[in-house]
Amino acid sequence: MKRINLLSVALLILVLLPFHADAQSLEAFEERVTEFTLDNGLHFIVVERNVAPVAHFFTLVDVGSANEPVGRTGIAHIYEHMVFKGSKTVGTTNYEEEVKYINQMDEAYTAWLRERNKFEPDEEKLEELWASFQELQDRAGEFVVNNEFTQIIEREGAAGVNAFASADATGYFYSLPQNKAELWFMLEADRFMNPVMREFYVEKEVIFEERRQRVDSNPFGRLLEELSATAFSAHPYKNPVIGWPSDIRNTTIADTWEYHEQFYAPSSFTIAIVGDVDPVEMRRLAEKYFGPMQYRDPAPELLVEEPEQRGERRFVIEERSQPIYIEGYHAVNNQHPDYQALNLLSNILSSGRTSRLYRRMVVEDQIALQASTLNGYPGSKYPGLFLAFVVPNQDVDMETVEETLREELRKIKDEGVTEEELTRARTNARANLVRSLTSNQGIAQLFAFAHVNSGNWRALFTDVDRLNDVTPEDIQRVANEYLRKNARTVGMIVNVQDEDDEVASN
Amino acid sequence: MKTMKHLSIFIIALAFTAACATQERTVQPQSQPVNVEALVYPELNTFVMPELTTFELDNGIKFYLVEDDEVPLINLRMNIRGGSLLVPDDKVGLHSIMTNAMRNGGSEAYPENELNQLLEDRAARIEFGMGLTSGSATLNALNEDFYDLLPVLVDVLMNPMLPEDKIELAIRQTRSGIARRNDDSQQIGFREFTKLIYGDDSPQARTTEHWTLDAITREAIKDFHSKVYSGKNMSIGLVGDFKVDEIRPILEEVFSEIPAGERNELDFAEVEYDFEPEIYFVDKRDVNQSVILMGHIGGMRDNPDYAALQAMNEVLSGGFSGRLFQNVRSDQGLAYSVFGVYGSNAFYPGQFYAGVFTRSEATADAIEAVKREMVRLQEEPVSMEELEDTRNSILNSLVFRNVSRASVLNQRMNNDFLGLPADSFERYIDELREITPEDIQRVAREYMRPGDMKILVVGHGGEIGDQLSRFGNVQEIDITIRRSLEEEEMIAGDADGGSEWLNKMAHAILEDGDIEGTFVQEGSVQLNTPMGAINMDRTERINFREGTFLVEMRNTPQGDITIDVSPDAGKVLVGGQEIPLPPAQAQQQIGEYLTHYLNILAHRDSYTAELMGSEEVNGAEAIHLRLRGDRDLNFFLNPDTGLPVKLSYMDFNPMMGDEVEVAMYYEDWQKSDGVAVAYTVSNKVAGEAQATIAITSHSME
Repeated sequence: MKRINLLSVALLILVLLPFHADAQSLEAFEERVTEFTLDNGLHFIVVERNVAPVAHFFTLVDVGSANEPVGRTGIAHIYEHMVFKGSKTVGTTNYEEEVKYINQMDEAYTAWLRERNKFEPDEEKLEELWASFQELQDRAGEFVVNNEFTQIIEREGAAGVNAFASADATGYFYSLPQNKAELWFMLEADRFMNPVMREFYVEKEVIFEERRQRVDSNPFGRLLEELSATAFSAHPYKNPVIGWPSDIRNTTIADTWEYHEQFYAPSSFTIAIVGDVDPVEMRRLAEKYFGPMQYRDPAPELLVEEPEQRGERRFVIEERSQPIYIEGYHAVNNQHPDYQALNLLSNILSSGRTSRLYRRMVVEDQIALQASTLNGYPGSKYPGLFLAFVVPNQDVDMETVEETLREELRKIKDEGVTEEELTRARTNARANLVRSLTSNQGIAQLFAFAHVNSGNWRALFTDVDRLNDVTPEDIQRVANEYLRKNARTVGMIVNVQDEDDEVASN
Repeated sequence: MKTMKHLSIFIIALAFTAACATQERTVQPQSQPVNVEALVYPELNTFVMPELTTFELDNGIKFYLVEDDEVPLINLRMNIRGGSLLVPDDKVGLHSIMTNAMRNGGSEAYPENELNQLLEDRAARIEFGMGLTSGSATLNALNEDFYDLLPVLVDVLMNPMLPEDKIELAIRQTRSGIARRNDDSQQIGFREFTKLIYGDDSPQARTTEHWTLDAITREAIKDFHSKVYSGKNMSIGLVGDFKVDEIRPILEEVFSEIPAGERNELDFAEVEYDFEPEIYFVDKRDVNQSVILMGHIGGMRDNPDYAALQAMNEVLSGGFSGRLFQNVRSDQGLAYSVFGVYGSNAFYPGQFYAGVFTRSEATADAIEAVKREMVRLQEEPVSMEELEDTRNSILNSLVFRNVSRASVLNQRMNNDFLGLPADSFERYIDELREITPEDIQRVAREYMRPGDMKILVVGHGGEIGDQLSRFGNVQEIDITIRRSLEEEEMIAGDADGGSEWLNKMAHAILEDGDIEGTFVQEGSVQLNTPMGAINMDRTERINFREGTFLVEMRNTPQGDITIDVSPDAGKVLVGGQEIPLPPAQAQQQIGEYLTHYLNILAHRDSYTAELMGSEEVNGAEAIHLRLRGDRDLNFFLNPDTGLPVKLSYMDFNPMMGDEVEVAMYYEDWQKSDGVAVAYTVSNKVAGEAQATIAITSHSME
């Protein structure tokens, strides 16, 4: 056992005093958390919080766009949209009939795709195939009860109905008045146990619009998509969550079923319920509604490893919007011992007005409107990127931005950080945790993610405790180890004002 | 032996697991039948209304306190009556420069660096902000730090140093923001739509510009500061881990020093609004999706039809169940984002609009689809079932109004600020319970005018093509960022200057300012093609007034070609063969002459001239004269002679499938028979040199 002298205890208390809420919160939460795993592997976390007569329900599925098969990027997100289409009973007037047309429609689309993807497609044949696809789509559509699933929950007072797909995970969530928990159980179990591919191809059009909105027509969206695609060679983190356009087009219902079979096993699910609920009742309802969910083998592991990068990568997007600078370094996954040190490094660099990049780039040199860093892009389940991005002030050239940023990183690599900076970063990390534990949704998301990442929601609190183990030397070490030239990808948007030049270079 | 035994147990265990697994697969567990109607809900737990303590100081500051010990934090939010509305027109943006410099400069006792360290060492936050009618000052800290930081907040708020360098920094950042404001189509859309509703110069819509930033001084900021931050304009809400009895005397002490000042009046001028159907367009070439906003002015919060309008809005655009979402998104796949709102404001009329973001090609369809849903609300009463769903959706989600103790406080402060009766929400709910399908149809007819909407599209002109013309005469909005007010005013329509310069150009080219008879010109043309340069000789005989064109080309790769076009017929002669030209093709053949300066001058009555300022062309200053007409033309004139040096316009290029810029450069002007002609003309399409024309002689017949 390690000997502890009185002085270090005193120091420890001193260090822990500001925002000591972590240990305290953990104890407080222990009393309010009920956890259980159903026989089929589905895990529940119930947190009692009686602030108001409402409850938040968060279904987190441990599968993201990183798990997608080659040529089917975007399928995790497509399936996420399908989950809102209801089930075999909700959203249809007659599923048995409807599904016949859905299947035929998919065959027709597949036939059309086959022709379309030929080297020299026969235009006439294409038109015919498309027409027969559309006819079947219309027939299937006759059985649809438009958005019945969301109609029901919204009628019953659901708030904040939404979902997300990310590189690492897919989540579905909404809140209800607390007395309607059983409605959530009934409909949530139903939509995952009796899934449907209703209005699949119209929804893909919606998804194309989402892509146009978030990526194609948004400068920062374009930049980020290009960054991932450049920084990663092998790992699927290179692909956009929303998918490449041709993959979205080529994805069929059959593909989506296959994906669902592989990845939506009950053991991939973690469900967090937070609010004014009775945990005993929640458990009874969980057994009743999710108990019958068929056991399936756990989802296959992703085995791709990103190979060592051999040299710095760079790209420049010349376009009409204003300049943005970004750089990313290959870093570690969220269970790696250096993950927290990199988080703290990110804090020291860019969180708050005392942070290094803010002081240097925004205030002193006045070259940036914003300078930010972020650890774990586009995900952190697998080794992601440590990002730094800068929105330059008007008329500041990119060389200045890059050199200044590099200089600040070099200072940390050469001289390290102060104990004061580190303490401040820890304090703020704790404070952020405490602040996000003041809403049902915040608690649900944090707890579910902690469980998925570490196998235990308590990691949320113990991770913050572990920040105390990180030393200034650790920060300096990780800066040197990961923020290397050979691990770097630099990307930028450069403004091309002269329209003649731009068109000419196309 | 021992090993054996272990092994056999292991095998048995394995077999058992396998059996279980098989059993699981054979005995299909039954999923629960879905019957929402059969669910019986227990009674909803009640929300324990937190006690709200209010009091007022002698200087007019109102306090609202709610205890909440869930986490050891205290959150203070001051609401300030006053905002950008009170900033004069020539200094738009002053309010945000002020709050920025206040926080970043700190006070004498707590200057920038000390302030930031003091706060961040404690993970505490002090922030200031200001909008159109109200400002905010917040302090969020651990309960144990709160009392030390409270005097800091008051000092920085009331005695900011406002150092010049921080004012300059804020201005610099705002200028960078201006440079970036046209990067995002949604930002452009909402900004320009607000201008269309309230007017460019209204406090609701006016924007910070380089010249309004130029006019902001430290003195002006100080004046504004003392006007907005005074007791009569402050109300303060506190929620968190404190005891009212303990904190109250501290608050009284700290805040009683603030002078009472004068209460700010939030008076808006009457909005002059004309219900006219209008279609506006902003061309943005780096997107493939159109941002569409359509609507008109909305109403006031005290309208007796408020509840019915809210219900109507919910039917049209509430959540996933609204008609816009269902029909425009789910059914037709036209958009990911589609939304709408009938805005009712307390101080001035809100905006009614629907928005949809759709692929360029579907722009007109999406507008029609959204409009159809508005019209349908007017033409058919909603079904009782749909109304009940809508009503229930609102009533059942009422519980989310109070999801925290803080929300109770916020609502109360908000009502007081807006001057709404304390029970206005309860009244709204009571009214909502009584709404009938007829009410919804009535308000849809009375307040919504889908036939008289302003439609704004921000999108890619080349991809959208002429889709918008079906909605009327498309008015293009120029969002170019200007450096000075002079430049801006010139843009705003210097029609006088425009016709003056057009006249000057006409007299520089035509001795008597007019063109009569047939114009004859001879010369050669060099065309750059992917196969190399092609040279030919050319003679033209043109009567611009009558619209007859006779063009003879010799030594082309196809031999001699003659094009003969008049208003009622057109033909081509190639190798002795005569081929008739349909009108569209005829227009295409003579396209070059339609934008010829002589043709423009011959028909100059059909253009509106605007002076756009001066620009550099080939290293020399030139007057930018814009002629608005069927096709907008940009002439750049030599300021001394009035002769054009350049002409540019957008033209649809079938090869590129896009609108491209065509530019003509004129040199070597020569005069003969009272007409000046540029003897060297070079032409660029999309920046690429395409042709050079060399004239050898010209005359009038």
